[in-house]
Amino acid sequence: MDEAPVLELRGMTKQFPGVLANDHIDFDLRRGEVHALLGENGAGKSTLMSILYGLYTPDSGEVLLNGKNVEIRSPKDAIEHGIGMVHQHFMLIPVMTVTENIVLAQEPRQAGVLLDYDAASARVREISQRFGLAVDPDAYIEKITVGQQQRVEILKALYRGAEILILDEPTAVLTPQEAKELFEVVDGLKAQGKSIVFISHKLNEVLDVADRISVLRRGKLVETIPREGATEAGLARSMVGREVLLRVEKKEAQPGEPLLRVEDLSVRDDRGLEAVRGVSFDVRAGEIVGIAGVDGNGQTELIDALTGLRHVSGGRISVGDEDLTHASARQALDSGVGHIPQDRQRRGLVLDFNLAENLALHDYGKEPFSHFGWMNPRSWFRWARTLLQEFDVRGGGPTTRGGSLSGGNQQKVVVAREVSRDPSVLIAAQPTRGLDVGAIEFVHRRLVEQRDAGKAVLLVSLELEEVLSLSDRVLVMYEGRIVAEFPPDVSEEEVGIAMLGGGQRDETAA
Amino acid sequence: MSEPQAPLRADPEAYAPTVARRLAFYQRAGGIVTPLMTAVIAFLMGGLVVLSTGHNPLRTYKAIFEGSGLNWLFHLGNYSIGLPFTDTHVWFWWDTSTNDTAAYNLTQTLLTTTPLILTGLAVAFAFRCGLFNIGGQGQYLVGAIVGVYIGSRFTDMAHLPHVLFGITAAALAGALWGAIAGFLKAAVGAHEVITTIMLNWVAYWGGSYLFGRGGPLQNHIDKSIPISDDIVDNAKLPALWGNPHLQALDVGIFIALASLVAFYIILNRTTLGYEVRAVGYNPEAARYGGISVARNFILAMAISGLFAGLAGGLDILGWQFRLGVLDVQVSNIGFIGIAVALLGRNTAVGVGFAALLFGALFTGTSTRSLDPDVFPPQLAGNLALMIQALVLLFVGADLLILYLWNVRRKLRLPGAAQAAKESA
Amino acid sequence: MSTLDSSNRLPWQPTTRHVAIAGIVLGLFAFWLTIPPVSARSPWWPVLVGLCAIAAGIWTVSRGIGRPGWGAIAAGLVGIALGLLATRASLGNLDQVVVWSALLSSTLVWATPLTYAAIGGMFNERSGVVNIGLEGMMLAGAFFGVLGADKLDSWPLGLLCAALAGGGFALIHAVWSIHLRADQIVSGTAINFLALGVTGYFFIQIYGENGTPGDVPRIPDVNVGFLGSVFGHLNLMIWLSFALLIVAHITLFKTPIGLRIRSVGEHPRAADTVGISVYGTRYAAVVVSGILAALGGAYLSIGYLGSFSENMTAGRGFIALAAVIFGNWRPFGAFAAALLFGGSTALSFRLAQPWGNASVLFQALPYVLTLIAVAGVIGRSVPPAAVGRPYVKQ
Repeated sequence: MDEAPVLELRGMTKQFPGVLANDHIDFDLRRGEVHALLGENGAGKSTLMSILYGLYTPDSGEVLLNGKNVEIRSPKDAIEHGIGMVHQHFMLIPVMTVTENIVLAQEPRQAGVLLDYDAASARVREISQRFGLAVDPDAYIEKITVGQQQRVEILKALYRGAEILILDEPTAVLTPQEAKELFEVVDGLKAQGKSIVFISHKLNEVLDVADRISVLRRGKLVETIPREGATEAGLARSMVGREVLLRVEKKEAQPGEPLLRVEDLSVRDDRGLEAVRGVSFDVRAGEIVGIAGVDGNGQTELIDALTGLRHVSGGRISVGDEDLTHASARQALDSGVGHIPQDRQRRGLVLDFNLAENLALHDYGKEPFSHFGWMNPRSWFRWARTLLQEFDVRGGGPTTRGGSLSGGNQQKVVVAREVSRDPSVLIAAQPTRGLDVGAIEFVHRRLVEQRDAGKAVLLVSLELEEVLSLSDRVLVMYEGRIVAEFPPDVSEEEVGIAMLGGGQRDETAA
Repeated sequence: MSEPQAPLRADPEAYAPTVARRLAFYQRAGGIVTPLMTAVIAFLMGGLVVLSTGHNPLRTYKAIFEGSGLNWLFHLGNYSIGLPFTDTHVWFWWDTSTNDTAAYNLTQTLLTTTPLILTGLAVAFAFRCGLFNIGGQGQYLVGAIVGVYIGSRFTDMAHLPHVLFGITAAALAGALWGAIAGFLKAAVGAHEVITTIMLNWVAYWGGSYLFGRGGPLQNHIDKSIPISDDIVDNAKLPALWGNPHLQALDVGIFIALASLVAFYIILNRTTLGYEVRAVGYNPEAARYGGISVARNFILAMAISGLFAGLAGGLDILGWQFRLGVLDVQVSNIGFIGIAVALLGRNTAVGVGFAALLFGALFTGTSTRSLDPDVFPPQLAGNLALMIQALVLLFVGADLLILYLWNVRRKLRLPGAAQAAKESA
Repeated sequence: MSTLDSSNRLPWQPTTRHVAIAGIVLGLFAFWLTIPPVSARSPWWPVLVGLCAIAAGIWTVSRGIGRPGWGAIAAGLVGIALGLLATRASLGNLDQVVVWSALLSSTLVWATPLTYAAIGGMFNERSGVVNIGLEGMMLAGAFFGVLGADKLDSWPLGLLCAALAGGGFALIHAVWSIHLRADQIVSGTAINFLALGVTGYFFIQIYGENGTPGDVPRIPDVNVGFLGSVFGHLNLMIWLSFALLIVAHITLFKTPIGLRIRSVGEHPRAADTVGISVYGTRYAAVVVSGILAALGGAYLSIGYLGSFSENMTAGRGFIALAAVIFGNWRPFGAFAAALLFGGSTALSFRLAQPWGNASVLFQALPYVLTLIAVAGVIGRSVPPAAVGRPYVKQ
């Protein structure tokens, strides 16, 4: 291995309003190595790589390529310098073919002006064979799988002559098999002398694939270590700066009657494909059931179906004695289903509404908020003042715009609204995403309180740790099915295997 | 996904503000200053055109102002006024006799303001639901067509029922025309801009057919004139101010003003308005809140159409009394409503003032009101169109406004500008 | 066959599709039988042939190929309806209305301005910008075409003036919708009013009550005698519109430029990350659309009529917009729609004799058809994904 770094970043600093995203970070990449960039959400990984790819301009710091100082002002500059990036959200055009997507902006020509599609297609086939990235050059992007789309993204970078490849959380959207295939591809690329930056927040895959590991925490570089000698526990400690085991104080659960019953439920996604396939489970009063799983295994569709936001294609949902299989969102709300949505800005709040209006989002049409269609603003404000105080929402009063609150306080508003409606079933989808530690604790405490008050709580989270620490029972969802059920004291490894499709389907889960 | 603060990481769809969100932003950013500035800039640029073609812009604008009759408000004295619908006279600041040109011109300005308020509301209401109702014109025409049909038939009806019947039917016709677009949006996601444009032209050609030579609604007296029958006296709205034979101001203006109040109340004091605003700001959150987005799309378009159809009905029953192919083809009251709504920032008060501004502008530049010795009225009509277009252009340029706003903030408190940029 | 062409997006079996197309042709044939020169008088002929068309359509739909199948069914129904109407009309009237050469050349005349504007509109929509202002740009072209041709005494310079005016208005729209990120509908509506005001103002300022002079230099006809009565004397602009059609198709689907335009309209961020200038592409596409729309307008004024009158485009820009949608954002589709819509205008004028006022309803046909198209009755029209959305660069 050539020891001289192909890429060196020195003292990279980037300030966003209110946040120092990158604070004098030094980073280097050697030829033919995989260098993982590890850190929690918001640690500054993507910002650093976006600077390298010319999407942001750094406030200070320099970029050296093969020892020479370069300035990268746009993705175009980055491409010219042999840097390619595979974005977490693919930059592909669904209605075009694989070839068209790959050659875009560097098209082979015929007679000077015409696009030489056949040459382009042949070239794509050639590269894909050379690097072992099997994909049909003439297929349309919208018709191929997510894993294949990712290969197209990698091919796009290789076609442009990338020597350095940045993979931004590449496994977040992949199934375990696809992830395994990706790791093989990465090994192949490495063998052909490509250098790879692998951004991730998953410890195990970093240990699998990386040669060296750099850990970022809150915009600062904590350490850069070779894989040999790195341990999960050690990495985890430097990632979060404390012991990771975040156990929630709670009493033994005392489950009662089943409140939420799901039988053989099937739901289709936006593309009409079956995303939830015959799922059965129930949640009893006074327990928290957690659903663990890799993103995109049908969790979103399951939640949408349970809350009346998506049509059910088969099976049955009931809450208490009520059949909610084909209920509208309104009916679900009125039957006592509370829902903390996974995206508070897009779904949980109307950012242009004030807090009083947001707190009445479900019950604006009921007494005392309105009377025969006439609103009663005074009762809204009274109610809002009570809730804001009770749930310790800071940064505004009832007339403050929802959008002007911080993320943690926005989530408190959502939680306040859902909990205050006294639902019998509370569904919490990624309730702590993007929150700071204080807010996370607040949300967790509220969920446990709800459980202790005899509610049925369904927690769906991509953070395995959160699921394990809160739940009284853990279900694992994989490819639209519940594949396993565990008690809360199960080890992470065991659940992890099931999440990757390794477990057996547990018929007793229902 | 890291760095929640960083705008870059969001997917490309993230910057897709609905019109309602944009306008909420305007309100926070500009208050009343930016609309005023917008209008001033438009008039200044119009003045440049006048100047460059060898006319005197100051004299021209003065003549237009006088043509609009707004100068009447400055003629104070000791007069008396008859209270409407009674024989009592009381003392008044102004001379209300419409023999005075200024007073007459003012009645004409208010006559134009009436439908502009309503077509402005038609656009504004849809905006508040996140929809762009560019179909006010078609809804207005449909209302006018139904108004003239009801007004010229049912000759046996008594006055009040006939008027109410005509107005209600016109409004409902407009509502139906608007609801088609709302339904297509709700059912198959057809973009309301496209469908309302198409519906405008269907109404345009439909009207041209109905009143044209040999058309089913052509008048029974002279088959060579492509115009409807006159509506009967019992269907006419009571005149309020001026000689009923010379286009007096009718009570329609009060209906328009009442509509402004209704608009405000519906939006801010009813659950229907709450739903409409929630859908307008964030349809996904509204759906999550248990609000039927489809139902609100249809309802909002229907209510929008109701306002525009009402405008058509009031024009016919108030002062036009008949409708010809030419009227159908040259009218653009519904389109001006777009400028009214946007300049008025989709608020009731704003729409009222913007409608008055455009009502005055179009009346002041009309052949009847403008002094031809100062400025040729044929030019002036086009000048008014240009000014209106410029108002639309500058209202639409939110980044321009944002920039000006930031400059102001920067001058006032340094450092806050960055935050303002972020919140945009 | 080219895999670049996105019509192959769906895996249509060519055989089934051909049946559907045959059905559509049969539907039209049902009507054709009843009009001169064949003039079949028995109502059975159109019904029989029309039913075959419908049968073909149903068969196609049952094979899961919606759009052309429904098209065949619709064509069959329309063919039967029109055919029955024709068999009941008097032969004299039929002969008067259906003068094929006159109808065809009139169709081409009314379709040509639409073709220019629609192809222009297709380019800006493909790049992701909505252009409601086509009407205004056409009107500007019509007026400044006359003005240029008159004052500079040459029709090519007139065309140049038209192009500059249209491009100028388009540039305003481009700045507003791309850099200022204004609402594109508002900006387009403003352009329409601005063009209406500006052309009206200067028309009266310069030409006054008398209108444009009668001796404005006109775009010449191209006389190619051996092509017969219809194609022998077409205006130069009509021939150029055919060329434009082919160039537009090749540009959009067979060149790197077209690929880039389409990528910008579908996923601007993706285009940006590979180094395509999103703003530059959109500017170019919008200005080109303004120029083309203006040429369409100029054809109306200095090509066909030889004069200008206020608001003379009378909604043709909106019909062009409809043609873009109806033609599914493709050059040949837009051209076919323009021919259909131009034909309905031509028919409306020809039917004025026997039908009187009712012929006006044919003018509404383009709008009704577009409403039906966007309502998804005959398959859905799918616009470019990013159309109407401003793009924010980092």
